[in-house]
Amino acid sequence: MSDVLSELQRGMARALRHGGLLEREPQLRAFALEHIAGNDRVSPVEQLEIYREQFWWRHTSSLVEDFPGLGGILGQAEWEKLVEQYLKEVPPNSYTLRDLGAGLPELIARASWLSHQALCLDMARLELAYIEVFDAPDAPPLAPERLAQIPEDTFEGARLVIAPAVRLLAVRYPVADLRRKLRAADDEPVAIPEPAPQHLVVYRRELRLWDMPVSGVAFTFLSALAAGKPLGAAAELSATSPEAEQELGASIGEWLREWTVKGLVSDVQTQ
Amino acid sequence: MVPELGVGVGLRVPHYAAILAEQPPVDFFEIISENFMVGGGKPLYHLDRVLEHYRVVQHGVSLGIAGPEEPDRAYLSQLKQLVRRTKTPWVSDHFCWCGAGGAHLHDLLPIPYTQAAVRRTAERARMIQDFLEVPFALENTSSYLTYRSSTLSEWEFIAEVAERADIGLLFDVNNVYVSAFNHGFDAQEFVRSVPHRRILQIHLAGHTNLGKYIIDTHRGSVSEDVLELYRQTIALAGPISTLIEWDDEIPELAVLLAEAERARAARDEGLARRGGGSQPSTGKATPAAPQRQDATVWQQGGPRESAANEAVG
Repeated sequence: MSDVLSELQRGMARALRHGGLLEREPQLRAFALEHIAGNDRVSPVEQLEIYREQFWWRHTSSLVEDFPGLGGILGQAEWEKLVEQYLKEVPPNSYTLRDLGAGLPELIARASWLSHQALCLDMARLELAYIEVFDAPDAPPLAPERLAQIPEDTFEGARLVIAPAVRLLAVRYPVADLRRKLRAADDEPVAIPEPAPQHLVVYRRELRLWDMPVSGVAFTFLSALAAGKPLGAAAELSATSPEAEQELGASIGEWLREWTVKGLVSDVQTQ
Repeated sequence: MVPELGVGVGLRVPHYAAILAEQPPVDFFEIISENFMVGGGKPLYHLDRVLEHYRVVQHGVSLGIAGPEEPDRAYLSQLKQLVRRTKTPWVSDHFCWCGAGGAHLHDLLPIPYTQAAVRRTAERARMIQDFLEVPFALENTSSYLTYRSSTLSEWEFIAEVAERADIGLLFDVNNVYVSAFNHGFDAQEFVRSVPHRRILQIHLAGHTNLGKYIIDTHRGSVSEDVLELYRQTIALAGPISTLIEWDDEIPELAVLLAEAERARAARDEGLARRGGGSQPSTGKATPAAPQRQDATVWQQGGPRESAANEAVG
């Protein structure tokens, strides 16, 4: 819709997303003087500035709340620089602030100026997974006896339905533990960890959020199940070496039992 | 006809435990719709527990009805799903726009009060009410700017939209007071001029006077001046479901419920005036002396229940 009202609103939206004081930006100052009335106490530019400040405060606060681990790694100066770059490059496009940080990992992957870029990327992905899992759709967990009841001749073709509140993350740093330390430390300094690759399952159980490290083979197997592969095909994909094949053979039963008990599996479909 | 629910309070995260454990007498709760338009987890779990014991009405903050783009169909579908869950007797949002060009600014931005904006807002409001299949109401906002292009007063704009779209009004008395101070109009003329028969619900809240302007912070008690405007509204409009909003520096539940009782007493006084007592005065409401100088922010609905507050195992 292109009309006078819409043009005014688009211009105002550009002004509110501006990263600095409107007074110092001649074009936006002119926009305010043209469209905003002001009064004898508050000038047109000041009236618009009230809303611009609010835009930045509201969105920065939301990111601070949703990404405490990332903020803890970066410190104030780098965090502010990252948030400013993010809000300028990635306009909020969802009605809910819950989705505000969805593009942060992508930006961090490009932000080579960050002191601990790889660690920050892992942390942002983890914190995004928590956000997604927190209010993902409910799905009653599969009763463990249903798993045991799968006929042997259909076992390989059976598909396990992974619950919506499960996310799988391969990370290079122990970010889940680091996040816990940062949240417990208040303002005390926390040491940046050395790289230590992990495969994490982030999931919700009885309304609480959990993260569980699993082996690389288990991670590949669970990822294949989450992608809709039948049990047999998922096992084949995971058996990438004799060692992996041995681990799979020794552990698959226990993995399936544990994942079912923990609510990672919500259904089983047999042909 | 919509039901008259009495005096309620906003359902806010810090009070969940006390509400579910103690089940205090509360006429109704109001929720911020968007906080519960999710797939599952704690937000819907808590909502369902509250619904077992209380009437809940829905109030939205993200519709942006007067924006350049048409309302988001996916958003409206999610909203309707929630309506079915809560069985809310009406749904409300704001006379505002929230974004442009695909950017959502998460604010209640004021509308230029023009005939073009009346047409756009009314057409969409009618469509939304038809789609949701429950009475739909829009709320007057607090605002901090006015447009050179406005040709109508705020109350003329609101009345015209409500009449054309045949929708309800959520009348926020504190917002009237705040905007009256910020823009220098007569709050009582606003109260007298809105179509009273269309008011489905009233909001009351605290505000923060920064000297040059007042911010609708939803912090602290409702000011006595706002309560007086509320009495006048009730005297003119009759008994209307009334809600206390308290979203910043949220107090203990007992304090919030005491504030609701304060509103109830004012409501009774307004009803007594309606019954042949004194009429609203025509003097201009005088804003209180400036309060804190450090408050420059406002928000709707208090803290969102989020993963950040979870004890992650």
